[in-house]
Amino acid sequence: MGPDAPVVLELAGITKRFPGIIANDHVDFDLRAHEVHALLGENGAGKSTLMNILYGLYRPDEGEIRINGKLAHFTSSKDAIEAGIGMVHQHFMLIPVMTVAENIVLAVEPTRAGVLFDVGAAADRVREIAEQFKFTIDPYARIQNLSVGQQQRVEILKALYRKADILILDEPTAVLTPQEARELFGILQRLKAEGMSIIFISHKLNEALEIADRITVLRRGVKIDTIPREGATEASLARMMVGRDVLLTVEKTPGVPGKPLLEVAGLEVFDDRGLEVVKGVSLTVHAGEIVGLAGIDGNGQEELIDALTGLRKAHAGSIRIAGEESSGDSAREMLETGVGHIPVDRQRRGLVLDFSLAENLALRDFRHAPNSRLGWLFPNRLVARARKLLKEFDVRGGVPQTRAGMLSGGNQQKVVLAREIDRDPKVLVAGQPTRGLDVGAIEFVHRRLLSERDEGRAILLVSLELDEILSLSDRILVIYEGRIVGEFPPTVSEEELGLAMTGGGRGSGEEAA
Amino acid sequence: MTEAPTPAPPPLPEAGTDAAPVNFVERYGLLQRSGGVATALITASLAFLIGGLVVLATGHNPLSAYREIFNGTGLNWLFPWVNGTDRTFAAMNLQQTLLKATPLMLTGLAVAFAFRCGMFNIGGQGQYTVGTIVGVWVGSSWAGIPGPAHIVLAIVLASLAGAFFAGVAGLLKATVGAHEVISTIMLNWVAFYVGSYAFGLGGPLQNSTNVSVPISNDIATNAHLYVFWGDPILQGLHIGFFIAIGALVAYWVVLNRTTLGYEVRAVGFNAEAARYGGINVARSYVTAMAISGLFAGLAGAIDILGWQFRVGQLDVQASNIGFTGIAVALLGRNTAVGVFFSALLFGGLINGTSGRHLSADVFPPQLAGNLTLIIQGLIILFIGADVLVLYLWQRAKRLRAGKTPGAVEVGT
Amino acid sequence: MTTVDQPVRAPAIAMTTRRIGIAGIIFGLAAFWIALPPLTVRSVVWPILVALAALAAGIWAVREGERRIGYGAIFSAIFGVALGYFATQTSLGHLNIVIVWSAILAAMLRYATPLTFAAIGGLFSERSGVVNIGLEGMMLMGAFFSVWGDVQFGSWEVGILAAMLAGGLLALVHAFFAIQLRIDQIVGGTAINFLALGITGYLFIQIYGEQGTPGSIAEIPDVRLHLDKIPPHALGHFLDGAIGQLNLMIWLSFLVVVLASIVMFRTPIGLRIRSVGEHPRAADTVGISVYAVRYGAVVLSGMLAALGGAYLTLGFVHSFNEGMTAGRGFIALAALIFGKWRPFGAFGAALLFGFSSAIADRLALAWGTSWQTLFQALPYLLTLIAVAGVIGRSIPPAAVGRPYKKQ
Repeated sequence: MGPDAPVVLELAGITKRFPGIIANDHVDFDLRAHEVHALLGENGAGKSTLMNILYGLYRPDEGEIRINGKLAHFTSSKDAIEAGIGMVHQHFMLIPVMTVAENIVLAVEPTRAGVLFDVGAAADRVREIAEQFKFTIDPYARIQNLSVGQQQRVEILKALYRKADILILDEPTAVLTPQEARELFGILQRLKAEGMSIIFISHKLNEALEIADRITVLRRGVKIDTIPREGATEASLARMMVGRDVLLTVEKTPGVPGKPLLEVAGLEVFDDRGLEVVKGVSLTVHAGEIVGLAGIDGNGQEELIDALTGLRKAHAGSIRIAGEESSGDSAREMLETGVGHIPVDRQRRGLVLDFSLAENLALRDFRHAPNSRLGWLFPNRLVARARKLLKEFDVRGGVPQTRAGMLSGGNQQKVVLAREIDRDPKVLVAGQPTRGLDVGAIEFVHRRLLSERDEGRAILLVSLELDEILSLSDRILVIYEGRIVGEFPPTVSEEELGLAMTGGGRGSGEEAA
Repeated sequence: MTEAPTPAPPPLPEAGTDAAPVNFVERYGLLQRSGGVATALITASLAFLIGGLVVLATGHNPLSAYREIFNGTGLNWLFPWVNGTDRTFAAMNLQQTLLKATPLMLTGLAVAFAFRCGMFNIGGQGQYTVGTIVGVWVGSSWAGIPGPAHIVLAIVLASLAGAFFAGVAGLLKATVGAHEVISTIMLNWVAFYVGSYAFGLGGPLQNSTNVSVPISNDIATNAHLYVFWGDPILQGLHIGFFIAIGALVAYWVVLNRTTLGYEVRAVGFNAEAARYGGINVARSYVTAMAISGLFAGLAGAIDILGWQFRVGQLDVQASNIGFTGIAVALLGRNTAVGVFFSALLFGGLINGTSGRHLSADVFPPQLAGNLTLIIQGLIILFIGADVLVLYLWQRAKRLRAGKTPGAVEVGT
Repeated sequence: MTTVDQPVRAPAIAMTTRRIGIAGIIFGLAAFWIALPPLTVRSVVWPILVALAALAAGIWAVREGERRIGYGAIFSAIFGVALGYFATQTSLGHLNIVIVWSAILAAMLRYATPLTFAAIGGLFSERSGVVNIGLEGMMLMGAFFSVWGDVQFGSWEVGILAAMLAGGLLALVHAFFAIQLRIDQIVGGTAINFLALGITGYLFIQIYGEQGTPGSIAEIPDVRLHLDKIPPHALGHFLDGAIGQLNLMIWLSFLVVVLASIVMFRTPIGLRIRSVGEHPRAADTVGISVYAVRYGAVVLSGMLAALGGAYLTLGFVHSFNEGMTAGRGFIALAALIFGKWRPFGAFGAALLFGFSSAIADRLALAWGTSWQTLFQALPYLLTLIAVAGVIGRSIPPAAVGRPYKKQ
């Protein structure tokens, strides 16, 4: 390997336009034999679009694809597969009710007597390939019974079964625990050693630095540069990704905690499948304090938020809002007790995209004066209130009658924020409040959260972004596998937090139980 | 970047996002926004055009057939140059058309209201049947009580019966997640056979005077609805028409001016967001289905008290009022005004093609009746597909703008 | 993330509990059965005793955790004893008129066959992810065009071909709108039913007019098996009465069920159909054409439903009438749901619904048509109960009803 290794794949001048936006603007990209090439960029930088073009799912408006020097025209993923390209999608393309073997051989099934599907042969073949790359997998297990990490291995096996020599992995670590990510990196190294060439899509700098031989950075659909790993640093990559030095530090004075407003003790919550995912969480948030809850995705955060906001019944434990026992309350009772909630998914849960902004701003208050009286709604008052809030929260691109779906993500989030804060909640539960936002909107949300803290609200900030947790929180709790495993001051180092988040040492924090 | 800054750039499609509206509710929202009347008119015209081709292909003259059907609707009454006996006949025809349109407005609302809550109520027919059963039962019993009270009692009980019947489907959806389409289809047939049994030979509601006829008792004469236009003997237009108009108004008011309507629409657009807003989604499903059934049950009661006065086994089995309500709601885009006009269209079509108005020399009424079904089917088919019209229209517009020729890959 | 830990009970005990529960269900039915011919127990004591055994088994199963089967046994016991009591109180004459097992079975098969064809058709369509409530209309097309082809060419074979062609064409319309234009599939199916009703009604009047279809149509032949030779005599007699003379289409329907099962669960084609119905994007990413699979499945469903219609006219009633399918397409849909989208499940449900129609016919012989009418609501009620999850929840294919958009 090295600069002299042959180029197996070349994308030249790829351009892809969607209504109102250019997703890829004359992007060049090449992949050499036996290398891991990381494709780095923020959400929406055009990474997935580029790879979907390579995998035959989109057609480029301009540009060429060359495989081993030969021009290729992909009209469907079938063509890409035949050209030796395999893809592990961010959202797995697996059929939950079918077995591992069935998923792997789908569309290239071994047959018996010409027409019958040979299940035994399929399973044997799967076992064979798995052994070759030192996986352990039961070919007859159903996908829905596998862990996320195992499912990802099935996806990789799918590509190997189809004799892929180029493997694309789209944000493969987003859904993995650190241990699983580590195992994945091991697998990738083995694949590389066996002769595969790998494209690794990510927005995480440290991962790119760890696994890649070369790194290409995309920003807003434009390729910024391709650099070897040697010499690259997190800072230099970050500058390339964002276009300026990243300064996510917010001016912050220490909080002045008052009396406890949110007290949670021994909370146990089940997920949709009936598994206990919050296993006895106890925490307290005081007035005038932001408590950051750090953790890797899928460690019970979402269910905890749901339980605190009445959207999910807790199995055991107590929740007290301003001293009032509130466990078992419905979502409506919770919001009327004074719990504000910025949901993780603003489009699926936080907003009714087909409602006007005025209607959305009343989503949590439409039952009360002045919005309505005795079941009679006053649309004019909704509009008047919306006009005031849109101004106050600097929502752009819409008037009260605009449909929420027409706004950009940042402005949508401002609408959610306006609605929740205007209700004057005692407790505010913020779930990943800056997910998918641009830098300007992130700053706005951060400032607003801090000023609400200073107004004396108790804020529980649940986030996957360590930067955000560190810069906003007055205290930091770490959740791991449904338990609070540590409490830290905001001066804690990222390394120490990271260790706690992966269930490693107890750090310096005392255990909150 | 070559792009001029736009106030609201649409989110960039990434892998896994389905930019096209996939479920009915999203698609419906799209329809609502796609500029109302034009597509409905195009859809209906296209259906009539194809219907005309069928007529032509089978050796009849479509123009004279359609003219005859149109005159049968009585809509020529609106033309000032029609006078004399023609005008008298036109008036009578128009009365019949409005008589047919009245229950269609209500069964149309029965479908539309559920739609607004994100549900597809195919059970309008069953709910209508249940309404007629209860309506005729109450109307033909207790002959002693005064007329207005009797009428109110029959209407209220029939509507409640419809509401209960639909509420079952809502309850099943809310509690065990049974799909309302399946359960309302099944309930339709339950109503069909229960009605057939009730009025059939030896059935509990069969008439007491002639046991060889599978028909109900007549309702009490003082329970008949007042005929305000035309001759009561010749089946003039009764005040049920205004009840239906009132229901249309109520529909609009409830949806747009009450918290109940707000909840229903929120659940219909995004049930998860509604739940987050503190709305009891399960209860909304039950309420919305019950209100839907209320409209359909009301339609049944009004037909009984207004002009049918009795129900036979065959009436139960041949009735299509509830199913036609689906076409009415779809063509009317689930708005009150739209439902009014499309009910008028279908009422006119049903009336204009009935043997009573259509001369067999011009076009045999049995053929015309089936032609109505074909046109109805085509309208339903095309109205669903008018996303295509919208799609092509947007594509054309974008091409005209000449900005982003590749943009048709992704819908809005 | 860890794998799902299902609560595991010792399998052996679980199996025994299951068996006892199922035995309870059977005992419950037996409580009724012994009061019927040929046993015709006339004392109510025996049904009560048998039902008590069923009840005990049911309660035991519920307490051991097999709740669904256990409650099934308890219900079965209650119904069994109620019907058993009813039977012992009925006159022997009536019982002997109503309960003629061989005739009931033959009638059950006749009623079940159109449902079976249409339900298997629906199976293909829905397993590929396209809801087909247009089965009724496709069946009606088959019913009309089979007669038309038959009369036109004087052969029932041509009639069947014409039916399949017509049903397939109407299904193609449904497929085009559902798959290509991505209209709501329920709306599309509703339109299909209206269209079929209109088209067949229109052509029926246009071609055959007042007189109706000619009486001289070539009928699909019966298969005559001389089973009465089989010893012992009672068995031979019974078999001959039940299946000794069945229409060719009835035997064909059995074959269709078996073939459907093999294709769906034992061939690559079936795997692909199911993958498209569960997760079309996943199928697409491995190079399966979602549209092609869905088109094929929907058109096949129309052809199969049309076969059911053809049997109805050419093999059963020997004439056509407007709207003559009278909701059978919807019962077929119900059978499909009741049978949990599986070929043998759907077939079993079709038989059950056919059985209830056959019983209804026999009841009419003794007690008049009034009850027969009410009895016909039974399949729909049963399906309603099934979708409500009382008798084991019916879970449809994951992507059914959802249009797929290529990227």
